[in-house]
Amino acid sequence: MANLSLKHIYKVYPNGAKAVNDFNMQIDDKEFIVFVGPSGCGKSTTLRMIAGLEEITAGELKIGDTVVNGMEPKDRDIAMVFQNYALYPHMTIFENIAFGLRMRKIPDVKRDKEGRPVLDKDGKEIPVMRKYNKQELSAKVNEAAEILGITEYLKRKPKEMSGGQRQRVALGRAIVRHPKVMLLDEPLSNLDAKLRTQMRSEIVKLHKKLETTFIYVTHDQIEAMTMGTRIVVMKDGFVKQIDTPKNLYKYPANKFVAGFIGTPQMNFFACTLKKSGDKVKIKFTDADAEITVPYAALMKTTPHYLDGSKNVILGFRAEAVSLDGAGDAKIKVKISHSEELGTETLVYGDLNTEGGADTRIIIKAGGFRQFEPDAVCTATLDTEQIHLFDAETEESIMPRIPEFNYLDCSVKGGKLTFLGITETLPPAISCGEGKGELLIPVSAVKFGGDIKAKVTDSETVNGKILLTLEINSGRLYALSDEERKGDVSVGIDYKAITLRAGGSETLPMPRINCLDGTLIAEKKDGATVYSLLIGGEKFAAPEEVYTKIFAATTGRKAFNTAFRYEWDAYGLSVGESGISAEVEEMLDYGEEKFARVNACGQTLYVKTDADLSGTVRIVPDAAKVSVVESERRIRIV
Amino acid sequence: MKIVEKFKALPDKIRAIPKKLSDKLAGAKEILTQGNGKVTASMLVMGLGQLIYKQWVKGAMFAFIQIAFIVYFVLTGATDLFGFFTLGTREGNAWYGVEGDNSVVRLIMGILAIMIIVLYAAIYVSNVKDVYRTQCAMDTLKKPADFKQEAAALLDKSFHKTALALPVIGVCVFSILPIVFMILIAFTNYGGDIVPPALVDWVGFANFGKILSLGQFAPTFFKIFGWNMLWAVLATALNYFAGLGLALLLNKKCVKGKAIWRAFPILAYAIPGFITLLGFKFMFSYGGPINYYIQQGGGEAVGFLGLDAKWSARFIGLAVNAWISIPSTMLLATGILSNVNTDLYEAARVDGASSWKQFIKITLPYVLFATTPVLISQFIGNFNNFGIFYFLRGGLYADGYFLASDTDLLINWLYNMSIDNNYYSIGAAISLVIFVITSIISLTVYVLSPSYKQEETFR
Amino acid sequence: MNKANVKVVKAKTKRVLNVLITYCILILVAFIFFFPCLWLILASFSKSGSIYSFDGFFPAQYGFDAFKSLFTDTVMYNYPRWFANTLFIAVMSCILGTLLTILTAYCMSRFRFKSRKAMMKATLLLGMFPSFMGTIAVYLIMTQFNLINQHWGLILIYSAQAPMGYMVQKGFFDTIPYSIDEAARIDGASNFTVFVKFILPLSKPMLVYTALTSFTWPWSDFILPKMLLIDKDLYTVAVGLMSLGETEFARFAAGSIFIAIPIIVLYFCLVKYMINGMAAGAVKE
Repeated sequence: MANLSLKHIYKVYPNGAKAVNDFNMQIDDKEFIVFVGPSGCGKSTTLRMIAGLEEITAGELKIGDTVVNGMEPKDRDIAMVFQNYALYPHMTIFENIAFGLRMRKIPDVKRDKEGRPVLDKDGKEIPVMRKYNKQELSAKVNEAAEILGITEYLKRKPKEMSGGQRQRVALGRAIVRHPKVMLLDEPLSNLDAKLRTQMRSEIVKLHKKLETTFIYVTHDQIEAMTMGTRIVVMKDGFVKQIDTPKNLYKYPANKFVAGFIGTPQMNFFACTLKKSGDKVKIKFTDADAEITVPYAALMKTTPHYLDGSKNVILGFRAEAVSLDGAGDAKIKVKISHSEELGTETLVYGDLNTEGGADTRIIIKAGGFRQFEPDAVCTATLDTEQIHLFDAETEESIMPRIPEFNYLDCSVKGGKLTFLGITETLPPAISCGEGKGELLIPVSAVKFGGDIKAKVTDSETVNGKILLTLEINSGRLYALSDEERKGDVSVGIDYKAITLRAGGSETLPMPRINCLDGTLIAEKKDGATVYSLLIGGEKFAAPEEVYTKIFAATTGRKAFNTAFRYEWDAYGLSVGESGISAEVEEMLDYGEEKFARVNACGQTLYVKTDADLSGTVRIVPDAAKVSVVESERRIRIV
Repeated sequence: MKIVEKFKALPDKIRAIPKKLSDKLAGAKEILTQGNGKVTASMLVMGLGQLIYKQWVKGAMFAFIQIAFIVYFVLTGATDLFGFFTLGTREGNAWYGVEGDNSVVRLIMGILAIMIIVLYAAIYVSNVKDVYRTQCAMDTLKKPADFKQEAAALLDKSFHKTALALPVIGVCVFSILPIVFMILIAFTNYGGDIVPPALVDWVGFANFGKILSLGQFAPTFFKIFGWNMLWAVLATALNYFAGLGLALLLNKKCVKGKAIWRAFPILAYAIPGFITLLGFKFMFSYGGPINYYIQQGGGEAVGFLGLDAKWSARFIGLAVNAWISIPSTMLLATGILSNVNTDLYEAARVDGASSWKQFIKITLPYVLFATTPVLISQFIGNFNNFGIFYFLRGGLYADGYFLASDTDLLINWLYNMSIDNNYYSIGAAISLVIFVITSIISLTVYVLSPSYKQEETFR
Repeated sequence: MNKANVKVVKAKTKRVLNVLITYCILILVAFIFFFPCLWLILASFSKSGSIYSFDGFFPAQYGFDAFKSLFTDTVMYNYPRWFANTLFIAVMSCILGTLLTILTAYCMSRFRFKSRKAMMKATLLLGMFPSFMGTIAVYLIMTQFNLINQHWGLILIYSAQAPMGYMVQKGFFDTIPYSIDEAARIDGASNFTVFVKFILPLSKPMLVYTALTSFTWPWSDFILPKMLLIDKDLYTVAVGLMSLGETEFARFAAGSIFIAIPIIVLYFCLVKYMINGMAAGAVKE
């Protein structure tokens, strides 16, 4: 019955270890969220922070509209189910379920012995807080017990019950209070496999019935996939991906998610990509094998991975390969053994038919089938279902929303030609002449320019709309806030592009300006004024900023700690008084002008309309600031 | 291996000390430089800052503590503190009716005064910290906890403060203070002729020098120490393994009526120790039953526990100690054995392991692991086992010993010297030496034991 | 007989032999532990009372004189009075000592405060000091506070020193899952409520164990009462019995039996709790 908002949530232990790093998430009412990841990934810690059992180091946690940081667990209106059930061994099941109610008071009006309200002298009822009475208690407990089918056990003690029944009691204890949020910490991991499957579907049913927000922690990806409306995959304190089960399976954002979700595990192979024409050759590094896939399947792949030199990791699931399918992408597999599972057979093999490096591959074959060990077969890969990851960062190199459009271009006489159109380069971009390449971030394609384009495809990814535009039969990706169809006109934001041509390279203007400073408090006319102190200059801090800083710090740390203040180029302006800065260069991007200045040893980019030179004063817009605590690297605002 | 690692980690720990100290100092410096007027007010008068912040009850309590302390200090505290350093200035003389200072009482009241001052200082610091905390909360627009919340926290978040207050005070007065007193006595000349009403004085390390240099102490010390170590090891091992063996025996499947068999050792466990010991002393005495039978058989009465008896008395001591201690080890082992995973035994049986092998490979490691702390405390208990030889043959002084006999442990020797013969300061110095030895042994074992390490990862 | 049969017979004899040896040892053990007790009991029924009128372990003549004089001849040795004194001191120290020990152990097990590690190591160290050296100081403190020759002085010392032995109890509390506390906290209980409503009921074996040990210590201690009690009427049984000579051996034995019986009965009733308590205190898994 409530939505949750987690903003920049951190858990940092006194020894500096970060258990949870910058956790951001909006959870809607009635969602079933699953936190999944290997042990020690911070999923339980996050849940315990939501429960209030663990202190939040920094960040803002809202349940409904209330900020609950520092609030006692009992006041948060949450309920929690523990891995070992944590039933009270010495109490009966009834008492176990009723205990939470007994500890609570409910609003009522003052009543006399017969239960009639007592009125005050104005004839109004007198509000009081009272405990639940016997009838109410047993009615509530019975209601919860009925939902879970444990009515007949209410007089028993926990140790007289089986694991599954205990789990029901734990659930009953949680639901009896009708909490806003139900938190479940690996509740099924102590049950046997059969019971687990059964309880899984019961919990899902319970969720539907209660219409409450559920947050469920598990290390079991099958539980996550079958139960969650959305899944948060975590590793080492970082959120790796938040998405629906289907999208996690189909579009894993990194190798970790790809390997973690799905059984059998995804097949991974080190390889290189080489594009020739409209085909891409995938060459396996550890095996003497290569396959060819149409470039259309890898359209969103960052082009510089396609030159045959960069190491990438190819991933595909067992069901994306078949031993008798048709297709061009064929590989030789030496079978080692197979597992018959009834509906399907898992075939284990090696790509290295002669032995050597470990190139284990798992293939799903239908029905009961016998395979001769050491036989060499030909497997066919479904090129529509391959995933590619950077070998070092392990991030997907074909994300659903590509970061850049990679285009061939040529520069001549201050004019840039790409996709068959020619545009005049703004003065800020000076570049050698000749052929080259152009990187346009998808977010730098703005609607309403003078380039005519046609929308050929649109795809909604996590609330963002990715449009595929056709310009002179060339392709350009763009992000849009709204659905667009047919002909559109676009323009390029030149300050974000990277241009390599004629042996020189123009980098985009950095988007973030950083300044180091502190927070100070001063008394002025009896009121306290809080300001950001940067380079000796004071700028009044808006309430939202300083309250967040206060919330993320203890004691007077807010005033004794160094912060890194960040703005984009529009957050800074030039004014009468402010931080003194030396202008280094003027950057003219046509429609907009920016000054590159040096202040307090930092290079800043400031939006300006005039041509500047010499010493200027920079005025930051305190309302647009983001704040990072320098020492612990914690993002606060 | 582990010990080596511990010692390797030592330099890092020592290097961390300055940082820890500077962190502490940084905290103090922050309060001094950033505390506002109310903090200063509370520094001058406890509770004043709180009162200005309108925290009436808390402020009043702090103010009351300060007043109470000042009253105490003026009335007795100052004199007591002074007495700690002088140990009394006026020598009493019953002849002239002069009531002098009792040095020992001066010393103990001095320690008490220092404890009270330390306690007061701690409250003072917490008073300053408290008002600074309120300031911090005000400065960062947080609501400081009101009195009701703070009182409620004493039953919740800081329940440990409420719950530990009484035990800590009790332990301080009745356990720590006596020990501090004893340590300090080792640095005075208390004892011999110098007992109240004579004035005692501080002598520094002279007593330790005496132990080493004076002929009478050193040989006795080393002789007794050797026997003491032997005793502690033998007694601990005997009790431990016999108790474990008994538990295993009673755990056997073929034994019927376990409760009845177990009752006999428990009977021995339940009888108060001094009764047992005096009973055994009677049993082995010249006129006791054992000698009666020897004489009946035509032999001569044997002084099992007599002055000349060395090994016979030692063996009787060992046996009697075993008689008293084995039952408790047995109970402990029984409890622990019931926790051993029985699957392990079945697996071992399938693998064809003999019962001896099962004991060596499964039972012993598990029990040893589970009982390391108990083993240590048993070792210490045996090392300092005062009762056994005090009751069996107390107060005997043999040749070749200074105020001790063959069976006396260090602790008995200390008793003889300090309680019976007034060698208080020397006794205290020796007990310090004993303490250092035992604590090094047991702390090393304890820190290296798996039980301690698991405590760290608990939860 | 074939080979398999030989093997079976061999195994059978081995088993029978095993059982036989086991019982032999058990009987021996029972004898060793029971005989001294029997001797004491027999001695208490000695007519003359002196240890010198015994035929070995057995009194020359039997009678109830020792018991009679124990309770009637109270001029010199007021045994009923001592017994009442001992009971009072032991019961009071048991209640207070158990409370303080349990509280200490609970805090050490459940709270993580700054000085916790230091306190744990300190108590460990303090436990290694030869304790009677401190008794001089205890005596002096008691004289300063005018608590000499008073039972409450003894009770104060026993209860105040009891928390030092909190380790066993802490070990037990460590085995109670922490998630029970957390579940209770989410249900709205404060730490105090958790302690009273969950930890205490769940640690009955430990409570019994603690109560028993903190009862038996004052019950059979003699050093402190001997030092702090001057009036013969205030004596505890231990001090009183110590003052009996060898000629009063029968009376000593009779008195011993009376003081031993309550404890023996307690131990037998609670032996299950004892075993569980000791084991749980030691095992930390």
